This record gives sequence, structure tokens and C-alpha cells, in this order.
Amino acid sequence: MRYSIRAAVILALTFGVAITPFVMTDRYILRILTFVGINLIMVAGLSLLFGYAGQISLGQAAFYGLGAYTSGYLAKAGVPWLLALVGGVAVAAIGGLLIALPSLRLKGHYLAMATLGFGEIMLFFFTETESVTGGSNGLRGIPAASIGPLEFATPVAKYFLVWSVVGIVLVLAANIVRRRPGRALRAIHGSETGAQACGIDTVKVKIQVFVLSAGLGGLAGVLYAHYVGFVSPSTFTLHYSLILVTMVALGGMGSLGGAVAGTVLLTLLPYVDAIIPGLPRSTVELIQDWTNDIYGMVLILVMLFMPRGLAGWATSLVARFGGRDRAGGSVHQGGGA
Amino acid sequence: METSELLQLAIAGLKNGSIYALLALGFTIVYAATNVINFAQGEFYMLGGMFAVYAFTQFELPLLVSVPLAVLAVAGIGMLFETLAIRPRKDAEPMALIIITVGGSLVFASLARHAFGSDALPLPEFTAGPSFLFAGAAIERQTVWIWGIVLVTVAGLTFLYSKTRLGRAMRACMQNREAARLMGIDTARVVMISFGLAAALGALAGVAVTPLTSTRFDIGAGIAVKGFAAAILGGLGSPLAAVAGGLLLGLVEQAVIPFSSALKDVVALGVLLAVLFLRPQGLFRRARREKM
Amino acid sequence: MSMLSVKGITKRFGGVTAVDDVSFEVFEGTIHAVIGPNGAGKSTAFNVMTGFDRPDEGSVVFEGATITGMRPHRIVRLGVVRTFQNTMLFDEMTALENVLVGMHARTRVGFLGAALSLPGVHAEERFAREQAHRILRLVDMDDVHAVSAGDLPHGQRRLLEIARALATEPRIMLLDEPAAGLNNVETAQLGETLRRIRGTGVTVVIVEHDMGLVMEVSDEIVVLNEGRKIAEGPPLLIQKDPAVIEAYLGEEASDA
Repeated sequence: MRYSIRAAVILALTFGVAITPFVMTDRYILRILTFVGINLIMVAGLSLLFGYAGQISLGQAAFYGLGAYTSGYLAKAGVPWLLALVGGVAVAAIGGLLIALPSLRLKGHYLAMATLGFGEIMLFFFTETESVTGGSNGLRGIPAASIGPLEFATPVAKYFLVWSVVGIVLVLAANIVRRRPGRALRAIHGSETGAQACGIDTVKVKIQVFVLSAGLGGLAGVLYAHYVGFVSPSTFTLHYSLILVTMVALGGMGSLGGAVAGTVLLTLLPYVDAIIPGLPRSTVELIQDWTNDIYGMVLILVMLFMPRGLAGWATSLVARFGGRDRAGGSVHQGGGA
Repeated sequence: METSELLQLAIAGLKNGSIYALLALGFTIVYAATNVINFAQGEFYMLGGMFAVYAFTQFELPLLVSVPLAVLAVAGIGMLFETLAIRPRKDAEPMALIIITVGGSLVFASLARHAFGSDALPLPEFTAGPSFLFAGAAIERQTVWIWGIVLVTVAGLTFLYSKTRLGRAMRACMQNREAARLMGIDTARVVMISFGLAAALGALAGVAVTPLTSTRFDIGAGIAVKGFAAAILGGLGSPLAAVAGGLLLGLVEQAVIPFSSALKDVVALGVLLAVLFLRPQGLFRRARREKM
Repeated sequence: MSMLSVKGITKRFGGVTAVDDVSFEVFEGTIHAVIGPNGAGKSTAFNVMTGFDRPDEGSVVFEGATITGMRPHRIVRLGVVRTFQNTMLFDEMTALENVLVGMHARTRVGFLGAALSLPGVHAEERFAREQAHRILRLVDMDDVHAVSAGDLPHGQRRLLEIARALATEPRIMLLDEPAAGLNNVETAQLGETLRRIRGTGVTVVIVEHDMGLVMEVSDEIVVLNEGRKIAEGPPLLIQKDPAVIEAYLGEEASDA
């Protein structure tokens, strides 16, 4: 019963995503929704690393930047888009490897600080190496994505490109989390010693998930660079990294579906006026002015009152109205999308 | 390089280092009491300057009143934050507390923007007047104030820890919180006061520096990273280590200026990563088999 | 030749010698107990035997291969598994999922295979789940397979950790105080379970304080005191061994 509800929801959402550009022709809305897609790719990676494996990272923006700058630079130099994409993802993944290896022994705040430091160093690098990244002015004139003769230059084409990638990424991520690797990630979060006692090479798995999440961050960066056409350092800030963490926390650790919900909600927050057309101007301005405060409060309030996030809340609702599980516990939470 | 130039760099290093030392003290004190790195420490620094500016410009209170008032106000905010946001989840996994302090830093920064605007706000020097001259190098009056503040702070903390009951209770908690609690020490109160003290130290640093750099709602994160780098450079073990780490970081920063002034901003980051990766226990702490 | 051979293990922590030149042999198909007063070094010995710590001196040999200093996950793959005094379960995962994680070393699907649903992934997942249910049935816990480990009562948590350990298809299981916190009924059931495990060909080594259980199920007992081995032999001999009685009485006297 539960599976067919889930399938129906996913089908409905896919359908909704697919017909949206034809229903809402407003370029502004299309732009916002494309950014939701890009954020989803970033959060998919962070969800695996942080939500599932419990490795806190405050520096995901660095991989976003590595992917964006690499791909943008390569494309401007005439490299075909697909190769530029591979280049961007590869550089980001290597970055992930470079930060993961020395950080393996670090836990908790120390890991958080190391990733934060890495993110800030990358930002410095993006701002200072003028010859490669264009410095604080950034990289301009990045060509649109193209596969062979097919060019993704219009807003609708870009929207579909991004969301196709989102679809693929989410399916792959969902496959990972509901099978052996996903369980290994959650085991490492639950008890790293216990995981080792089950034969899990925790070092190897942590490196793998770090690199994977970095690669996904790079992928999001590539799509961003070719969507907007220029890349500047002001995008890859600590603030953005923190917002990504907020999205995962809001969704609930150990839940990909929750992370998706959290991302959609928090990305759309400053753009409520586009989603709910009837809102009074003053309310919209209030929300936009208080967006950052809301992000911060969400982090605190979720941890205090709803530590399992939206996913946990949804699960407890289902349990209360479904009433199937009698043995007194959460029903199979977090194992799937 | 001339001696006077070298001296000038050293003076700047010790000035900045003193600020980092105060922040590092804040990190160390909270960590000792709670095993939590308070990511909002930088915001206490920012709020110190902000409140002082506010009291000085809006209420036209003399600096002599504005500064201590600001420090007290931020100390209060620190204790309030601990009571409302930390204590309810103090037994949660470290992850939750990290996230809460990160959320706190976001909230404080954005609230500050609402309350004080997004412009940089200045404060006059505590005492006006020309810089002192020392062996060919200039020492600004405000710098002397900063040094004085750090010295008094360290003396005050030393007195607190060795001669007062509260201080001894705090030290007991640092050693072993469970044992301290079993001995009848009110650990909840110690934790709250630790937060207040750390907030006060951060605010003090912020106020002392505002005359030189102005304050703005978003300066918290940057200084927090430097303060934390200083704290772990010393090793989150003792107040003395924190001060040493701060001064050392300040000096090392100045040392790269002759090579490239842009690098100065990234020195703290480099130190941070180097310590975390190579010697997480810092310079002055013996390696412990605890989880890092 | 013995299955597991502990040779001259010494481990020091700062100024304290937790384990001092301890040697013993464990033979296949037996239940072997390691006992001793508190602080005798039993858990430390276990840590060394299972890769969670390195000895300062000595070695551990399992079926001819030296395993000292090997990382824990490799030792598990060789067939040596352990449980912990404070159960290291995955509290946010269900009982079934905990056992499934136990099968990690015997299954293969990785990130790539899982993501792309490569051939064999489906089959392995189905097989693993069937196995996991079977193991839970072995310990009478299949009815709570969907309950989070963190919500289970203490006795079932200990059973679950044993089930998870069984999932690693071990040749030898080292259980660290499996009876801690169990009542008499549960302890008796544990004894039954241990015998059943031995019956399937798995060798068992337990660290235990519950003398009743130890004397009931063990084939062989090693006694440690203050880091040193002071006696070894079958239960009947150990019960009468004066050195053993002295060690325990000494502990009682100092408690008085």
C-alpha cells in the first residue's frame, strides 16, 4: 500500500515538473524552478554525505565552484560541452578526495571546521586567481550547454536539461540509499565502531561518499555555469554551504525524500510571490527581508523540536493514522527515498 | 628589512593576535564546559561592537558607559542562547549542537542586519590622541587599549579560576563534568556562565577593535574562523594556550606580508587546516586518545 | 592446531599494564570463556584479538594467519566477529536492517552497482533479506524486524547484536559480556542460544561475569587477574582452583 502511494506521488511530481514550462511561461518562474533543480543536485550529494553518513560538511560550495569554473573555462576554450562537464565533475571529485583524505580521522566539530576552512580557501582561490577564474569579476561569456548540434539556449531547454539531470541523480541516489551502500552509510552514522565490526571498511566508504558528494556538487556547478552564462565568486560562499546544510536538516537526516522537500521549500522561500500570486506586497517583502533569519531559525528549531525533520514528522503522521506498527517504534523510516 | 619595519609588523601582529586571543579564549571556555564548538562566537564579537555603537550614537552615552554596557548585553545574550537553544538538547549527539550554533550564528547576523542596518558603523577611539613612538615604530593608542584589555582579562580569568568558588567549579567541570556533578556542582549553571563569559570576551574583542575597523553585521564568520584557528593552534586545553595561539597566529599573519599582502587573509585558514590535519591537539596539548 | 591462538599479548596504557603476557588457545567447536575480576584486562584482550587495538607485544593468530594489527573490517572478513559490552547497534535502523548490515562482508553491491541497478543487484538484495529474516527467526526476533533497534528492550538489543554478528558468517564469535543486564530467564535463553551457535559449527569465546552462565555453557575457561592469566581449564577444575578463588575473594574483600 505504502509503495503505491509513493509511486503515485513520484509519478505526479514528475508529470508536474514536465508540464510546468508549458503551463507557466513566465521566465521568472522558470528561472526559479531551474535553480530549485540545481540545488536538488547539490543537496542529493550532501544528503548522502551528511544526511546518511553523518559526515558534516560546511564547504559544499567549494565543489559547486570547482565544477562551475572548470567547465566554464573549458567551454570558453572551445572544449565540447560534454567533455567540459566531465572535466568539471572530475575536478570537483578530485577536490573531494583531497579534502577527504586528511579529514578521515576528524569527527564532529573538527570535521565541520576542516570543511569550512577548505570552502573558504577555495573561495579565496576563486577570487584571487584572476588569470584562470577572472578574479572577483568572474568568468563571463560561458556558452550554453550543447550536445552535438543540439543547443540548450532557451529557458525551456535549460529547464529540461537541468531537471533531466535531477531526475537521473535522484533515481541513482535512491538506488544507493535503499541498498547495501546506503545501509553502510547509515551504519557509519549510527556507530562507526559497530560498522567496522560488521566488516565495513569505514575509511574507504567515507572517502567514496565524500568524492561522490563532491562530484555531484561539481555537476550542479557545471549546470549552473552554462545556465547563467557567467560565474563569479560571490556565489560560492560559506552562507550557501550553510543553507544547503539547513535544507538537509529540515528534510531530516537519513531521508532523501525529506532532503528534496527541504530543498524545494527553502529555495522557494524568498520567491513566495512567484508561487502564491495573490500574496500582498508587504508580506512578500517581509519574507524576503527575513529569509536569512528564517534559515537560521529553521536550523535551531528543527534540531530542538523536530530532530527527525520533515521526514520524521511525515513518518509519525503515517504511523498515527496507519497504525500498523504495534511494537512501539518508527516504522521503517529512512531506508528509502 | 629595517628593525623599525619589523617592529611595526610585530606590533600589528600582537594587536591582531590579542583580538584572536580573546576569541580563542571564548572558544576554549565554551568547549571546556560543553565539548561544543560555538560557531556563533564571531557573532558575539560583532554584537559587542554593534551595541557599543548603538549606545554611543543613539543614546549618546559616553564610551565609558557604552562599552561595558555592550559587553554585559552580549554576555546576557550568550546566556540566553545557551538556556534556550543549547541546554534543551545538551545530551544530543554533537551534530545537533553544532547545527544549533551554526543556526545561531545565522540568526544573530541577520537580526543584527535588521536592527543596525547593513552599513559599516564606526566608533571613536577610547582615548583620542597621537600614536606613541617606540624605536621607530608607531603604536596607536587603541592598540594599547587592546593590549591592556587582554592583560586585564587574562589576569581576571586567572584570579577567577584559582581564587573563586565559581572558577574552581568551572575547572572541575573542565576536568570531568560527571564527577563534578556528582560532587554537587551545579553544572548547568557553570555551562550557562561559561557561555556568558565567552560571549563577553568576544564582545570585548569586538568593541576594542571597532574604533580601528568599524563593525558590520556580517563580520562574524570571518573573525570566528580566525579565532578558532588560534584556539586549536594553542590546543583547546587551557586559557593560556588560547592566548598563546592567538598571539602566535597574529604574528604569523604579519610574517607573510613582505611576500604577498593578499596571502594574509588566508594564513589563518592555512593554519586551521594544517593543525587539524597534522596535529589536531594543537601545540600545547599532549595527544589524547579521544575522539577528535 | 588451535583455531585462535593468543600469544604473549601485552598492552599498556600510560603507566598501567592492562594485559600482561597473556597466552591461550581456543579450539574449534568449543565455547571458551574469559573471566576475571573487574579490571582484569578482559575487554582489552578482546580489543586486541579483534583488531580494535594493537598490542605492545605479542600476536594473535587465527587459523594460521597472523591478525594482530589488522584493521577490524578485514578480521571480520576472515571470520572473526565480536560484539560489544555497550551494544554498538544502529539505533535508527530497524532490526532487519541491522542484520542486513551484518551481511556487508558477504555481499558485494557497491555504489556503482546499486546506483545503476546492474545485473545481480536485485537478486543479491532479495537473497540478503531472506537470509536476514532467517537469522532473526533463529533468535526469535523476526516479529520485530521492522522495529528500530533503539526502541527494542535491552534483552532483545543484545540478541540483535548477536544476530548481526551471525550474519557475518563467522567461524568464531567473541561476545563481550553478552549476559550483562539480562534477567535469569533471558540468561538461560542466552545459554541455549550459545549452545545452538556452537552446534552450527561456530566457535564461541565469551567474556562474562555471570558465573552461573559461564560454568553452565563453557568447555574451557581462562581466568585473568590484573592483566595476567592465572588459571585455565574446564569449569570443574576452575571452580576449585585456589588462585581463582583468591582473586575473586580478594575482590569481594576489597568491596566490603
